[in-house]
Amino acid sequence: MRQKWILAVTAWAMASGAQAGTWDGVYTDAQAERGGVQYQQRCGRCHGANLAGTFEIPPLVGRFMPYWSGSSLDVLFDYIATAMPLDRPGSLGPAANADILAFILKANAFPAGTKELSADNAALKAIRFDAVRPAAKSRRGNNPR
Amino acid sequence: MDRRHLLKNSLALGSLVGIGGCAASPPAPATVPKAASSLPAADRMPPLALVRAHTDRLFDIKVCIRPFRTKGPNLDVEHIGDTMVVHNYGHGGSGWSLSWGSADMAVQKAMSVSPKQIAVIGCGIIGLTSAITAQRAGAQVTIYTRELLPRTRSVRANGAWTPDSRIALAAEAPANFGATWEQMARTSWKNLRPYLGRAGNPVSFTEHYRLSDVPPGTPTPIDPNLPPLPPQSWTGLPTQTADFARYEERIHDLVPQPEVLTADNNPFPVKYGTRTSQMFFNFTEYGHLLTSEFFAAGGKIEMRDFHAPSELATLKEKVVINCPGFAARDWWKDKNMMPVRGQTGWLIPQPEVNYAMTYRNVQMLSKSDGIMVIALEYGDMKGYNDSDESVRRAESERAVRVIEELNSRFQRA
Repeated sequence: MRQKWILAVTAWAMASGAQAGTWDGVYTDAQAERGGVQYQQRCGRCHGANLAGTFEIPPLVGRFMPYWSGSSLDVLFDYIATAMPLDRPGSLGPAANADILAFILKANAFPAGTKELSADNAALKAIRFDAVRPAAKSRRGNNPR
Repeated sequence: MDRRHLLKNSLALGSLVGIGGCAASPPAPATVPKAASSLPAADRMPPLALVRAHTDRLFDIKVCIRPFRTKGPNLDVEHIGDTMVVHNYGHGGSGWSLSWGSADMAVQKAMSVSPKQIAVIGCGIIGLTSAITAQRAGAQVTIYTRELLPRTRSVRANGAWTPDSRIALAAEAPANFGATWEQMARTSWKNLRPYLGRAGNPVSFTEHYRLSDVPPGTPTPIDPNLPPLPPQSWTGLPTQTADFARYEERIHDLVPQPEVLTADNNPFPVKYGTRTSQMFFNFTEYGHLLTSEFFAAGGKIEMRDFHAPSELATLKEKVVINCPGFAARDWWKDKNMMPVRGQTGWLIPQPEVNYAMTYRNVQMLSKSDGIMVIALEYGDMKGYNDSDESVRRAESERAVRVIEELNSRFQRA
């Protein structure tokens, strides 16, 4: 009975438009670690070992957030997948790009979770890229006070 | 170029270099001794200061991707929803030179619908001049950009009057582009006039010496120690410098033309050469001036990074001048954009060095913020389809050594 009730609430919440957000643990630590290795090999040369960028090259932390948050994760993923790394754009496969995105999320202090970040466009579109942790929702769903 | 004139005078030049013999001598002064001259006093060369060309004086190296567009710059108008977007990007190595003329064309289109407010995307030289031109036409302008001018690709450019440097492929430029180019170039030249002679020399003229050990018309030999061009990573054109469109002959009436160097006016120990008065841009002063002008006229800047063209429809302005430079390749999915990498090495500024020089595929231009040194081998093919923006120090060091070697041949006192 309780299970059915939880399912009903979840279904209702999803129908109301509640999505996962980047504060909900949308990658795993193991994935971020893989992504970190890829990052140092393919991205760090320009964006810096600590993601700080340079005078000419944008950082991937800090003022990176206002430029990329506010939509859904597919936007950033698509950019990385098609435009990066700059010297060989699109040369990394979807799995590597997902891992690197996980690493970037971790570097920006988003919490890890139990499920890996997928490279699937629909799945990424369903994850809000929230700069700030949203206010706690009521159990009735997406109804902030 | 008058070949007979050069050859007749090369003997005289040889004797100039031979004065003083080869005996051990005190350290050279920083200036070049002048020979007796038959030219009118006004046309003789003043003593030239030498560049202190040593690799340990390289204090900065900048890498830039030129926003080259095979079909020439995108000047089209399109609509995103009910927002009019006037494109103004893809000027290759000619952005600084053509900026005002291109801005003028973009603003004419933008003003055709009498907007009170105009948005400009991008704050490089194209965006900034478009914004000021729009203000001068009476619009209130907001620039939306992810970087201010000092951190854009624009200020990693060469920064001299080079209006047809990688502006289009000859085979792909639209049929009437030559006329469009000429209008841009002439408008730009006139618009640059008010910036000449200002304190800090935002826009200035320099004497550019193009020197050669081989007679004019003979290609400059390439140093055999240089790494070759990488194999072609694109299909079709270009395959050689001649595939790039050239239009500068159209403005020979406007722009100072080269004069042949003779023994009377060649201060360098190199047999052949020309000297041209060339306009160039001191980025720091010129950039500061333009930004100040923009703000003084009530302009606003909003820091923003757009991710899809559709986002332009969310702006409050219904007319947008789009100046994203190379970012158009990814943002607007413009497949005609090809990166052309360029690198400038910077020696510590020497204000007493007031000229530019090209010799053995190395160019030097003395600017207010440093002495710029560029490796030029392989002509317009160098850097084509290379989007690696990391520094290659060896390239700049090699270029500095070419100048260092030339300077070592100057006559000791």
